[in-house]
Amino acid sequence: MRVEVNNVDKHFRKLHAVNDLSFTVEPGRVTGFLGPNGSGKSTTMRLMLGLDNGTGETLFDGLPLAKYKSVTGVVGAHLDAKFFHPKRSALGHLKMLGAEANISKARIDEVIQLVGLSDVARKRPGGFSLGMGQRLGLAGAILAQPKVLMLDEPANGLDPQSIHWLRDFLKHYASLGNTVLVSSHLLGEMQLLADDVVVIARGTLVAAESVQAFLSRANSKSVLVRSNDVVRLASILSMNGFRVEIEGENAIKVIDATSEKVGEIAFQSGVQLSELFTEAANLETVFMELTASGMDYEIGAPVTGHDSAVIRSGESL
Amino acid sequence: MIPALRYEWRRLFSIRSTWIISVLYLALVGVVGLLPIFVASPAAQSWEGLFSTPGNVLNAMILSVIAAQTFGHEYRYGVIRLTLSEFPAREKILIAKTLILSTYVVAMTLLAWAVLGAGGLIAGSEKVNSEASGFTISESQNSTQMWQVLAFGIGYCIFAMSITMLSRNLALGVTLPLLLATILEPLVGALLGIISDWFEPATKYMPLSSAQAWIVNAPDWPQAGLVFAAWVVGIYFLASFFFIKRDA
Repeated sequence: MRVEVNNVDKHFRKLHAVNDLSFTVEPGRVTGFLGPNGSGKSTTMRLMLGLDNGTGETLFDGLPLAKYKSVTGVVGAHLDAKFFHPKRSALGHLKMLGAEANISKARIDEVIQLVGLSDVARKRPGGFSLGMGQRLGLAGAILAQPKVLMLDEPANGLDPQSIHWLRDFLKHYASLGNTVLVSSHLLGEMQLLADDVVVIARGTLVAAESVQAFLSRANSKSVLVRSNDVVRLASILSMNGFRVEIEGENAIKVIDATSEKVGEIAFQSGVQLSELFTEAANLETVFMELTASGMDYEIGAPVTGHDSAVIRSGESL
Repeated sequence: MIPALRYEWRRLFSIRSTWIISVLYLALVGVVGLLPIFVASPAAQSWEGLFSTPGNVLNAMILSVIAAQTFGHEYRYGVIRLTLSEFPAREKILIAKTLILSTYVVAMTLLAWAVLGAGGLIAGSEKVNSEASGFTISESQNSTQMWQVLAFGIGYCIFAMSITMLSRNLALGVTLPLLLATILEPLVGALLGIISDWFEPATKYMPLSSAQAWIVNAPDWPQAGLVFAAWVVGIYFLASFFFIKRDA
């Protein structure tokens, strides 16, 4: 089921939370929904589900949600790990959510087992950890096996094994032809999980494309070099017009360079290298480049005891 | 509509507090209605008097906790977003909640009458009989009718539910109707009466003062009943409008 978000827009008084956003989420793929804190991801998801009032429309296979007779088979949403009554048992919570579509007890048990909550199914979730809350939220979302799954930060609070399980589960769910939209701040995780990304900043669309296309936007590619004579190599490289950053005692990073070129210069200069490695662009790098100006809550530079030295082109040590 | 009713029914009875409050309500109605018969025994009680017990504001307040929880719990714990994800057409869940709450109030009132009836039968015809003048919540000549008790319970609970819907505050939904009935409306009426005689009938147009005037069959009870109904319907539609229009 294709999800089309068309010109969705939302104001909170003076704040323009979501600005004329349009994108498509394709079936059979996992789409990562990325953006800095306060960029409007959760608001967009709420608008898509009709929970918030705004302008624009979201169509699920060409129809707004309200036009479907039963919605539970169309979209399952997990928006927060704490959206449950703390004194209604996990089982009771899922029975309530499944009541609309008359979900069988067997299916509820199956889902509870799938998310690993069998031991606590009859317990009150008020005492659940964040990770357990995430599992319960996910269980509620997949209960009716919806064609579209929308998850807001589902990996928060999960341990590494659970994150691995979640990744495999969502990939499998999408491989069945379902549509999966996942928002997350865990960019490394998203790079492993997502086929496509939708990136927003300050409520405005930055990118909506495949992960590969997104990564190809990286402005700078760098080469990591290790050598016992790194100081001399750094000077020679900077003389050759490269920007060099010191990465440690015996390592430098050469910005906007290729390993072939750096190797050639080192060979010509008689510098012996112990490592030469091209750093591939990752989701985090591109994300930071593209959303740098869209941070609503900018953070200061990390305070460390030793600032990393930067040798600009033409400078020598 | 059936799925929404099923969902709301499951929501209501899947938390322990619903059962606890239900038992508490029946116990309270039993104590308020039967204790005077068994202990004080000032005079023989009439069946009408006995069956008017659930029309007491204190008893209605207990039921209003369930009414306030209808929306209060959902807003307090964020479950409303899950609910509205399943029912994007919000009118459906609103109607379902109203119908289930009304059904619950009717069922609890019937159970309360069963408790009172059983207690009356145990007490025997010397203490409870049709000829007795009795002591009722009605201070007028006419006894409170059973349909009035039922309608008062539903109206009071919808009033409480609507306040919760508007304020998204469970505690306010329980306390405000009780405070209006017992303190605020009498106080405002008294103060206005002091200011000018012209304001004296002001309480006639207040929601719960008129409700109480209606259920005790005060001289102008039909008008009081209409005023109470107008308040309940008015606040219900106002709250419904905001429930449908506001962000979840």
